[in-house]
Amino acid sequence: MTSSTTTKTAAAEVTPRRRRRGHSFTKTDRAVLAGLVGGPTLLHVLLVWIPAFCTVALSFTYWDGIGGLDQIHWVGLKNYQQIFTIYQDFRPAVRNNVLWLGFFALIATPLGVILAYYIDKELKGTKFFQTAFYLPMVLSLAVTGIVWDYIFRTNGFVNSVMGDTSAQTATSWFGDPNKNIWIVLLIASWRHIGYVMLLYLAGMKSVDPSLHEAAAIDGATAWYTFRKVIFPSLRPVNVIIIVITVIDSLRAFDLVYIINRGRNGLQLLGVLVYDNIFGEATRIGWGSALATILFALSIVPIMLYLYQTFKRDN
Amino acid sequence: MSDMITEEGVSRRSVLKGTVAGAGALAVGGLVGAGTASSADAAATKKVSVGSNNSDPAPRKNDVAWVAAAKTAGFDVKLNIVDHNTFQNQINSYLQGTPDDIFTWFAGYRMQFFAKKGLSTSISDVWKKISPNFSAGYKNASTGLDGKQYFIPTTWYPWAIMYRKSVFAAAGVDPKTIVTWADFINACKTFQSKGITPVALGDKGGWEAMGTFDFINFRTNGFKFHMDLTAGRAKWTDPRVQKTFANWATMFPYQNNNVLDLAWDGAAQLVLQKKAAMQVMGAFHASIYTDPADLADLALFAFPEITAAYGREAVEAPIDGYMLSKHASKNLVNAKALAEFIASDKFGKAVLKVAPTSLFANNKMPKPTDPFARSQVDLVNGCKYIAQFFDRDSRPDFAGTIFQSALQKFLGGGDPKAIATDLQAQWDALPPA
Repeated sequence: MTSSTTTKTAAAEVTPRRRRRGHSFTKTDRAVLAGLVGGPTLLHVLLVWIPAFCTVALSFTYWDGIGGLDQIHWVGLKNYQQIFTIYQDFRPAVRNNVLWLGFFALIATPLGVILAYYIDKELKGTKFFQTAFYLPMVLSLAVTGIVWDYIFRTNGFVNSVMGDTSAQTATSWFGDPNKNIWIVLLIASWRHIGYVMLLYLAGMKSVDPSLHEAAAIDGATAWYTFRKVIFPSLRPVNVIIIVITVIDSLRAFDLVYIINRGRNGLQLLGVLVYDNIFGEATRIGWGSALATILFALSIVPIMLYLYQTFKRDN
Repeated sequence: MSDMITEEGVSRRSVLKGTVAGAGALAVGGLVGAGTASSADAAATKKVSVGSNNSDPAPRKNDVAWVAAAKTAGFDVKLNIVDHNTFQNQINSYLQGTPDDIFTWFAGYRMQFFAKKGLSTSISDVWKKISPNFSAGYKNASTGLDGKQYFIPTTWYPWAIMYRKSVFAAAGVDPKTIVTWADFINACKTFQSKGITPVALGDKGGWEAMGTFDFINFRTNGFKFHMDLTAGRAKWTDPRVQKTFANWATMFPYQNNNVLDLAWDGAAQLVLQKKAAMQVMGAFHASIYTDPADLADLALFAFPEITAAYGREAVEAPIDGYMLSKHASKNLVNAKALAEFIASDKFGKAVLKVAPTSLFANNKMPKPTDPFARSQVDLVNGCKYIAQFFDRDSRPDFAGTIFQSALQKFLGGGDPKAIATDLQAQWDALPPA
């Protein structure tokens, strides 16, 4: 997708620069065009579509990843059927991915946008808040994990405040499969909010100030201006943020992997794919089926949204 | 399979006895050491690469020590230490890519698996030279399904209940009196009443609780049933599995509450800090004790008996060691020479200097003088059967993802009946091995 848009713009640039609109292309033009269009397309097909196709194909097989292609056994839809019926980690993983998406879409992303709105007002201390909110994004995940571990471990900050740090009675925030996903969503949002805020802030800075002025002259309140004027004019940024929110929540992996290798209440589809394909288990077919399910889950909402957006543009 | 494993267990026991009894083989074994030394003089630097999963601080020191010793014996060893879990998880792709000539691994099902898949180079010819250093049980444990040898055993360690003598003394509990399960629960109650967590368990890594499962299972249902279960010959839906889970559940009130938020070392810390009384752990529990005074206070006793008929006849005692990758065929002479070095007592003596409590497979190594190490040897000598460990005795695609997840569910309060049914369904869905 991305590369086809870049090649389009590249091709568009070539034509006006040569000022030959309407003329037939010379041999050099054709060669340059073929290179510019063909190169990225070839790379894209090689690195994205062929592996994706192979993953889908492998999802109908048993393979332990050792030995040649003759070791691959076709089993039809068996992997899918078993994943949906008996794989105990599948349901929690789907639930967590959906929860993650819902939490990001309904809470974290809007919070980031609201923060951007307030920070854009250039209140006192704006620079400080801007830095403070973006800071979590700068910290490496390892550091993030350690910081939050100190807060939520059994003898950590939260339990100290609550007055019980005994190993036998205190709440185990990361260990309880009904609680730990909420802690993780808190940590993930802590990072995501700053990211969305920065992206949105950058977008808002680029809005033509005359729009603000015109709205003000018409007597619109600041909030009304934001909702009816600024927000719609930021459609490209909105698209990016929605796509980022969807992709980030479906491919979430690292944070839970650092906390407990993505188990015991923190299962995610991405983790299951990794554990089954790259782990000691090496169930390539099984893992590929999981990856295909994850792929379908991520591609559907994004395609629907992009389709909607660009249809309106046309 | 069943017979083979049992046989292996029995003979391994005699091996270990040999370790204690055994200065007898000293003279014969001496030849090997000498052979390595003289060939070392001939070629100044024999380049060999070694892949290691010994990323924790204590085993890392062992690696550095023996590599230094290998250097003086004329080897130029390139040591690649990889994070333990990463190494385990990526072993398949590692061995199929361009692996190091020699790599750390374990005896048991997983060694035989790689041998069968052609990812390891046979070292039967090396074994012809080194066999005086090991008793027959170790040779069995190093042999693949095709009858060739693929493994050099180096060290082993038992699993048991680890405790601090001072904590037991202060609570007035004598570990010698803990024989039956009732004794054990009574001791737990005593510790509980004194405000000490009786049993520390950490299962964040997913593998740690397998040790407790193994013990309770073979104490409840016997060694044969346990080995049948790990190999898939017995069903998880067997009512005997429910007995194991039920017995385990009686321990829950005496455990820490954050089992799934602690790794093994976090739980071991609770024992070290005297906040908890006991931990069911491998002897590497000792590796977090940095102060010699604390180390002197550490002791172990055998996991209590549950079903009287099975007594305390079985124990877990995994064997660690080295294998040659298939890639080693490009550097075969040097790799085999290093394998020979690893099988000699020079390896053991170098490791012993930095890790005095290690137990060696090599029967030329001196009897351990350290009391904690001695107690480990005694523990295993008193046993009839030896298991490796759940994830070394069972299929990796079952132990690695499915079983670990199910155990965590059980520890988190899941229904054991549903868990057992799900386990069997997932086992049945595995591709034929």
